[in-house]
Formats: sequence, C-alpha cells, structure tokens
Amino acid sequence: MNTILIPGDSIETEAARNRNHYFVEDNKPYCTSMCVSSNSKIVPLEGLWYPNEGEPVVGVVKEVKNSIVEVDLSHFLRAIIIKSPRDRISFRIGDIIEASVKQVEDKKTIILIFPRLLKYGMLLQVKAVKIPRIIGKNNTMVGQISSFTKSNIIIGYNGLIYIKGGDMALAVSAILKVAAEAHRPGLTESVKKLLERELEVTEK
Amino acid sequence: MANMLNKPELLRGDGKRLDGRDLDELRPLSIKANVLKNAAGSAYAEWGNNKVLAAVYGPKEVVPRHLLNPERAVIKCRYAMAPFSSLSDHGRSGPNRRAIEISKVTKEVFDNVVLLDEFPETAIELSIEILQSDGGTRAAGITTAAVALANAGIPMKDLVYSVSAGKIKDKIILDLNMIEDNYSDADMPVAVSPRTGNMLLLQMDGELTRQEFNLGLETILEAGKQISKIQRQALIDVYE
Repeated sequence: MNTILIPGDSIETEAARNRNHYFVEDNKPYCTSMCVSSNSKIVPLEGLWYPNEGEPVVGVVKEVKNSIVEVDLSHFLRAIIIKSPRDRISFRIGDIIEASVKQVEDKKTIILIFPRLLKYGMLLQVKAVKIPRIIGKNNTMVGQISSFTKSNIIIGYNGLIYIKGGDMALAVSAILKVAAEAHRPGLTESVKKLLERELEVTEK
Repeated sequence: MANMLNKPELLRGDGKRLDGRDLDELRPLSIKANVLKNAAGSAYAEWGNNKVLAAVYGPKEVVPRHLLNPERAVIKCRYAMAPFSSLSDHGRSGPNRRAIEISKVTKEVFDNVVLLDEFPETAIELSIEILQSDGGTRAAGITTAAVALANAGIPMKDLVYSVSAGKIKDKIILDLNMIEDNYSDADMPVAVSPRTGNMLLLQMDGELTRQEFNLGLETILEAGKQISKIQRQALIDVYE
C-alpha cells in the first residue's frame, strides 16, 4: 500500500531509506521532504536534485571564459566545464549541451565532462524528482515515448530534457503527463494509450 | 494600540466568545498547497477571516551578495500585508516596523527546521502575503509557509505550525481574532515543531501568571494536532 510521507515523518524500515531524503536523529531516520512509501521503498515526490558522479545533465552555456565554460543547469549549484587545449568543441553562449557530472566540489560547483553540443531541438524543464519516472525501469518510459513520436529525447538528471525531431508536441505532452502523474501506478500503460490515441487522431 | 478605556466585553453571557467559539476552539482553517504555477512551492490558507498566500523560490543565487553564507543557505523572508488587507493602512511605503519584525521572527522559525547546510551560498526566498487580516496573521503566515516549503521540496526536519493563545479576564483563550488581539489581557503567539515539541517562536504581549502560561501552552499543543492534520492533508491532496 502506498503511503504519503511528509517532512518529519519517521521512516520505518532501514531498507526504505532514500539517502537524499532523510535525516537521522537519536538513531531514527525521518523524512525531510514529501515522499511516497511503497513496497519498502521511498520515492521522493518533491525535492531537489543532488548531483552524483556520472549522471547525465542537459544545460545551456551561460558564459565562456579563457579556461572554463559556465553552464546553466537550472540548479542552485554553479556548473562548469574545464577547457582543455585538445577540445574540439567551440562553445558559444546559448548553446545547449549534454554532459556528465565528474564531481561536485565543496557542495558548491559541479564539474562536468564529456560535453556534447545539441542543435536544432527544444528544451523542456520538469521537476528533477520526476526524472527517474520519465526514464522508467530500464528506459521503458522514455523508450516508449521516443518510439511512438520518433523524437530523439535526451534526459538530464537536473530536470532539463532535450527533444529533437519527430512529433515534438506529442512527446512534450507525454512527458508532462508522466511528470504530473509520476506517483500513480500503471503509468506506462496510460501513457501508451495517450500516445496511441493521439497518433490515431493525427493519422486520420 | 487599542484604547483600553473603551474596552468591549469579549465574552458572552453563556461563556462563549463574541464569534460563538469556545475558549479553546480554533477558527475554521483550510489550506491548499501548490496554488502558484511559477513558484517552487506555494500554499493558500483561510483561517477564520485571515487569507494568506505563501510562496517559496529557490534555492537560488544570493542577492545582495553580502548576505551570502559560505557554510549554509540563507532564508530571505518577506511578510507583507496587502494594502487592502485590513481597515488600517498597509503597504503604501514599503515594509513597516511590524512587517520587518514578523519577517525576522518567521525567518528564525524556519532557520531551525530547514536543512540549510545542504545548500551553501544560496538563498531560499519565502514570501508571505496577507490578503485579508483578522488577527493572528503571523501564526497563519508561519503555518502556511511551512506547507509551501514542503510543497517546494525544501528539505526540512519538521512541518512547523503556529497559533496564539491569550487571556480574557482570567480565562485562557485560543487563536485570537482581531478584536481579541486588540483588547485581551494577553496575547502569546507560539510556533512549534510537532515532532519534537520544540518551541521555535514565543512572543508575549500583556501578562500571564506561570499557571496561565502553562495552560496556554497546553491549549496550543492540543490545538496543534488539529492544525498539523490539516497541513498534512493539504500536502497529500496535491497528489490525489
């Protein structure tokens, strides 16, 4: 059974802990944000993105300096790419990029690596806590949206999603549906129905 | 300050208050979370005749930079009464002394429950707008702001509530409205962290004996259970 937890609620099982959404007091774990507890798992409903090494992100180049490129990840931490003479990419302000988190320095700066320019697509922003649901188990959700709409979808864990080609409007509405109903069960099926229905209407 | 010479009778012959409430009865409270699209989190509350809107933005860059704390986030709280919120004038020339004081005490309440260490060098902006006031707006503001913060996903140790107790003659009353606020013998707004029972705000106007003070706190803690329940339901309703 799904139970919604609010800040300050105690978390019963050790296994249920989600490391970014609890704190411990007197050896007891308590929730720090809105979460849903189901099958001894805690899934955050609200919350902020805490970057981890290797996570993909999508951002916009904010400033280009001699040795670093500042990237806007729509996040409270500053994100930078350290330039190297071997870089083949020349960045310009406003460029959309995809990159990976290398490390977080002093909880203040995210260092990004493996940047790649993304061109001619659009950016969509959703709450970062909804991203795991949009990706789905083994990429099922995003794979489904991508195959129905024929869009190229690149998801950043920071909450920014890049969409290019295909039926972009349908891809956006499907992603927004997932974000809005992330806590509901049977979402993959209902998104599939939405996509099939919309595509049928378009074909007619 | 109200003119105490023209002090009205605040209790009816049947022992009830002027608005028909029992001494330890709250005014009707309803809270709705997630009411503003552009805010990270928001809440709207109607508490008796009080109408309060709270919005949370951030964590974001600290402006002005001299407020920046390299170790933790700072909460920037703005309590404001809309110019049309009450019979007296408000908001015609920026914040007044009262608004500055309430903004400060509200910020200090949330400094104790928000996990500020997780966001060094950032600011969390909290705006509390009183659209209609009828006494007890600082308590209503804190209660609504707690819901807005939880709705924004700002990590907190607890969902704080606030309510006031007071005294009419020798009787302790709960949740004072405007007329009781102006003419009662004492007014004591308190903010509580329900999980631990810690007092995060305690102000007092007037005089209470030790026994009256303890009774006031007991009444507040009892009523807090009801307020916490309404706050919880407001947050859960967003997902139903």
